[in-house]
Amino acid sequence: MARYGMALDYKNCINCKACEVACKEENGVLLGADKHRIWVGTGEIEGEYPLLSIASNTFYPSQCQHCDAAPCQEVCPTHATYYDENHVVRVNSDKCILCSYCMNACPYDARYVDDRTMTVDKCTFCSDTRLARGETTTACQNTCPTKVRIFGDLDDPESEISQVLRTRESKTLKSHLGTKPKLFYLL
Amino acid sequence: MNIESVKEFISTIPYNKISLKDILAFEKTPRNMLLAVTTLAFLAMFVIGVATYLVHGHHAYNVTREHPWGLLIAVYIFFVVSSTGLCIVGSLGDVFGFKDYMAISKRAIFGSIVTILSGFAVIAFEIGHPVTMMIYNVLSPGLTSAIWWMGTLYGLYLTFMIIEFVFLLKNDMKMAKYFGLTGLLVGLAAHSNLGSVFGFLNARPISNGVFYPTYFILTAFITGIYLAFIMYGFRYQLKFDEVAKKLLTGLAKIQGLLISILIFFVAWKLLTDIYGGMPNRSEVAVHILGSWTFWAEVILAMLIPLVIILKSGGTNLIGMFWASMSGMVGIMFMRYNLVHDTQLKPLQMLKKTEYQLPPEWVHYLPSSTEVMISLGGVGLCLLLYYVGTKLFNLDADEHH
Repeated sequence: MARYGMALDYKNCINCKACEVACKEENGVLLGADKHRIWVGTGEIEGEYPLLSIASNTFYPSQCQHCDAAPCQEVCPTHATYYDENHVVRVNSDKCILCSYCMNACPYDARYVDDRTMTVDKCTFCSDTRLARGETTTACQNTCPTKVRIFGDLDDPESEISQVLRTRESKTLKSHLGTKPKLFYLL
Repeated sequence: MNIESVKEFISTIPYNKISLKDILAFEKTPRNMLLAVTTLAFLAMFVIGVATYLVHGHHAYNVTREHPWGLLIAVYIFFVVSSTGLCIVGSLGDVFGFKDYMAISKRAIFGSIVTILSGFAVIAFEIGHPVTMMIYNVLSPGLTSAIWWMGTLYGLYLTFMIIEFVFLLKNDMKMAKYFGLTGLLVGLAAHSNLGSVFGFLNARPISNGVFYPTYFILTAFITGIYLAFIMYGFRYQLKFDEVAKKLLTGLAKIQGLLISILIFFVAWKLLTDIYGGMPNRSEVAVHILGSWTFWAEVILAMLIPLVIILKSGGTNLIGMFWASMSGMVGIMFMRYNLVHDTQLKPLQMLKKTEYQLPPEWVHYLPSSTEVMISLGGVGLCLLLYYVGTKLFNLDADEHH
């Protein structure tokens, strides 16, 4: 039993979107712009030449935050959304009734409808695929050329993610909502 | 209680034996014909809309990842608000003992049953897996979910309303009062839970908070009174007798107070939303103020009826009939606005430009399938109510 989380050294992101492709390929996510489990947000360069703000040109990889107090899990009327044994927020498609309440309640826009099952889908930290095969990395992490992502067990003090979070400052997103996210942006 | 006594109880429920011929036997005035054709057209739309949905699924709707709730959610809310409102109006007489309102109890309670059934008919085609819902609502109930409480309580509420209606038909006022009170309390709980479906959304500051769970009860009462005027208008063909006049004048006066409170509520809601420029709330409220659908809601559901009530002191009953028509259209806008405004603001999860589409406001326009199923719900409601008027005596019994 682990408590999986991810740290993102997001300033290293070069917006190659290899993570998005790897995620779709590994997890069989359907094609289409609104069918995505993870994404890279892009900040456009602000200002006018020559006074351009280089600081504004940033890339923010993001996805489901696998909150420890997930609003999507709280609002689900049938417990289709649940925490698995590794504290990963998952969806049981057999129980999902597609009321879409979780899509409205998630502050991170991390959920979408999978057209094959007509149920709500989301990032699983590759639990069905790579982790199920005994691997210890996620597809997005494995493919990243600049090593933005560090995935691991937050409860294991020796894991790389625990060590990084001990030695570097980090922030979480919208944590004022009480969601206790397990995605950490390294500063 | 044995099976025989249950059988006897059911077999003694008073109703009129009717055939298709009786249903088609109505005065062929232009107004009635127009209403009949409209109802049939709406029902035909329902069939086409549902068929399209069954073939294409949610792709037939214009709902998206950013705007997962569309017109059908608004229409469902519209119907259940109507039902709760009619339940409140119906309870004034048989539960709370206000003699002047006793005459409308049976009609209002029947109205509350047909409106909630129409609401269920519409939501069945919005929920992706309604059968799974019925199974897992019971097998693995999500007790922290406002939707679970709302749905479960509404199911119970419908049961109590039907039992209350049966006792009203049997003129057993004591039992009607018990089931009416229980049904009312469950209905109010269900309805405020529906408000909390939006109120609990911490991710959506424009809807989050105590406002909707309480506002829903207020707007339900207002909707119930509009529907009471419409039902009575058709029942008496706008030539009200003394009992009806007294009843409707009283309701109009209550409505004047309720609409004033509503305007007060909405004004302060918007002011507190805008004040201080809180991100994700203030700019959404300003955007709402600039949308025509908001002003349609204000003018049709609040200002027109209030002016008519205030000008005549609640005695212009024919005016109020027409104002109630305007009111119900306004209430439909109110429900649409509630659903749409909640989802107006993109969640902006660092998607500064999301696949070349910079998100500003989330756009949504109902698809033709959504519109057809929605109008179909109205058609279904009209049909059920009409059949009910033939099947049951919805007027107060003589000795009242």
